[in-house]
Amino acid sequence: MLSRRLFPLLFILCFLGTSCQKETTPTPPSDPHVPYDFTAQHGMVVAAHPLAAEAGLRILKQGGNAVDAAVATALALNAAEPFASGIGGGGFMVIHLAEAKKTTLINFREKAPAKASPEMFLQDGEINNLWRQSHGLAVAVPGALAGWIHALEAYGSKTLEEVIQPAIIIAEDGYHVSTTFSKINKDEYERLLLNAGENNLYLNDGFPFEPGDFFRNPELAAFFRRIASLGIKEFYQGKTAEKIVAAVQAKGGIMTLADLKAYRVQEQAPLTGTYRDFTLYTAQPPSCGGLHILQLLNICEGWPLQEWGHNSAEYIHHLSEAFRFLFADRARYLGDPVYVDIPVTELLNKTYAASIRARIQAGRTADAYPAGEFGMPPEKKGNTSHLCVVDQAGNLVALTQTINSFFGSGIIPDGTGFILNNQMEDFAPDPDSPNAPGPHKRPVSNMAPLLLFLQDKPFLILGSPGGTRIFPSLSQIILNLTEFGMGMDEAIEAPRFFSYSSRGKARNLSLESRIGENIRSILEQWGHVFTIREAYDKYFGGAQGIRLFPSKNLILGGADSRRDGAGAGY
Amino acid sequence: MLRMKGTGKMKDYNKIAIIFVAVSLCLSGADGTVEAAETAQFEQPLLITSAGQSAEVQLAAVLAKRATLDYTLSKLATSQELHGNKTLVLSLGASLKGLGAAGLDVAQEKGRVEELLAAARKLEVPVICMHLGGEARRGQLTDDFISTFLPHAKMAIVVKSGNKDGLFSTLCEQNNITLIEVERAVDALQPLGEIFPPEK
Repeated sequence: MLSRRLFPLLFILCFLGTSCQKETTPTPPSDPHVPYDFTAQHGMVVAAHPLAAEAGLRILKQGGNAVDAAVATALALNAAEPFASGIGGGGFMVIHLAEAKKTTLINFREKAPAKASPEMFLQDGEINNLWRQSHGLAVAVPGALAGWIHALEAYGSKTLEEVIQPAIIIAEDGYHVSTTFSKINKDEYERLLLNAGENNLYLNDGFPFEPGDFFRNPELAAFFRRIASLGIKEFYQGKTAEKIVAAVQAKGGIMTLADLKAYRVQEQAPLTGTYRDFTLYTAQPPSCGGLHILQLLNICEGWPLQEWGHNSAEYIHHLSEAFRFLFADRARYLGDPVYVDIPVTELLNKTYAASIRARIQAGRTADAYPAGEFGMPPEKKGNTSHLCVVDQAGNLVALTQTINSFFGSGIIPDGTGFILNNQMEDFAPDPDSPNAPGPHKRPVSNMAPLLLFLQDKPFLILGSPGGTRIFPSLSQIILNLTEFGMGMDEAIEAPRFFSYSSRGKARNLSLESRIGENIRSILEQWGHVFTIREAYDKYFGGAQGIRLFPSKNLILGGADSRRDGAGAGY
Repeated sequence: MLRMKGTGKMKDYNKIAIIFVAVSLCLSGADGTVEAAETAQFEQPLLITSAGQSAEVQLAAVLAKRATLDYTLSKLATSQELHGNKTLVLSLGASLKGLGAAGLDVAQEKGRVEELLAAARKLEVPVICMHLGGEARRGQLTDDFISTFLPHAKMAIVVKSGNKDGLFSTLCEQNNITLIEVERAVDALQPLGEIFPPEK
């Protein structure tokens, strides 16, 4: 035990000299906001809850590969962080197979039911947000289990029955509720009351859980045992499917057994682009997060970021303005590529990036933020969690999954212990939008699990929850690492900002309160209007990252203190 | 369906500080605890609303329901809704998310609450402020709502962790407000039951 603890210390001292003093600490500091890199040599899992990270590590130590561990961690998150993701939702997974030198994307995004229509969220001509968020109509067909099983069968070495065991243990044994869990439980109390009632297992005798309370989910454990025994067909065509449809329809939804039976995963090539000497692999549309990260990095290539300095007024101003132009592109062009043509090549063109750069003026905000012009608008053809895994063979997985809002729709199929998503909210309520709801369509996502390579060597696995803040937050983390020389967790913990535009107009610039008054006063003079957020605000996501040093046989993991992230390696 | 191992919190209820500030300083010195029976009484029906649009307003409503009180929950209550009610309950807690969902900014929300409080003064409807979010529901924005609106209350019921820095104690002492501290939100059920006599 002692040698196991000392080894990382000796290892790091050998390779890094005295420059990485924080790795000498055997356990994370008591203040979770103090940057702390988890270290390992052979393999590592970083996830939004320590029990989930340990679940993945257990599979790695049992001889599983990165895909096995990623699926085990994803399942464990359903038990350990049930409000953010789970079997009732969907996501995207980027996998890199070291030996085959293959990188692939598994798209297990939820799909709209067959009866979905562009006008489905309009009531007397007005948008009904309750229907979009907290109603049976909000529930899309879940893709998580299909995605996990596809990954296991195509690239894993273990069975579902094997990798689901840690999740069963977590659900059955329980754990103490964190401040994060408790606060989110309180925030989403109304939705849980509305759709699951006072006596649901995500409330403590009808009230939100307080920090330190003990939470168990034996219903989820029993349900996972059933799935392990009966397989995917049970979820999409069996008794569980019947329970899902009954729960959704009881709350006014339109999902049918046929919708569940028809669900299919998509495997495709990842979206790829470059930033200086780096190559980035991420999710394709309907996820827009990766696309916008690449656009943003293209824009940044022409700016003197280091000269401006990290989180200087110039830096925040220019990136904030870029975010606003990219949100205009998002609104105009993004939808499900099966149903709309998205000009991905044009959006990623570095000449287009230069044209956005030219519109951004130093010292003042723009008057308007129009989308790029690539001919006609596309013709219609018809709260989240991230984990990173690297295994001993150098296989990499970046997986982001969600049930959309915290506690999803609040609808819990009878006796299953899991929460159904409210992913239909990610469709635009405007019937004329390229992202309007429609039969079997996948809504636009912000998720952006990504792998970054430096001259063909693995450099970074990264992702985050956070809705529309995902691509701005991940872009900042990438720049923190590549431009400002920060360590993995330091890059994650650094103060963040976010801005966007809507209908061509600037919206507030959100800043973590650690960005000081001296910077704010300059930005104010340049025309920015602020929303000041908490010092470490989960509004900006909860990123997980693994920084890889292949030549040094070193793995550093960073987990976001804005939520309950943790790493586990060996 | 309860998934909680015993934390003994309910057994600790007798530790809950029920502070009637003016009296407490004389009766029990530093601890300042008195029985709820000595505190002010309020009448039903109640109008429950938010001051800051945090989710705890729903908690206040569930507590009122469990205490079998005659109440109306209106997150965006206006002065018109106050008519016919004999107590106004303000759930203190600011949430940018909640404000956004309600389509309000901070100034608009403050304006709404100020208008409601003006009507309460005119109608002589007493105000109870509740802060049920604990330490997690503190911060610059919520503190601004607390400082602005708590002085209008006759009584405050707060989850103890939200008063770690003594903000509620100080404001209540300065404004002669009865302060009741509870360990957990659910513990507010008992004082609520005690300050509202059963309806005849």
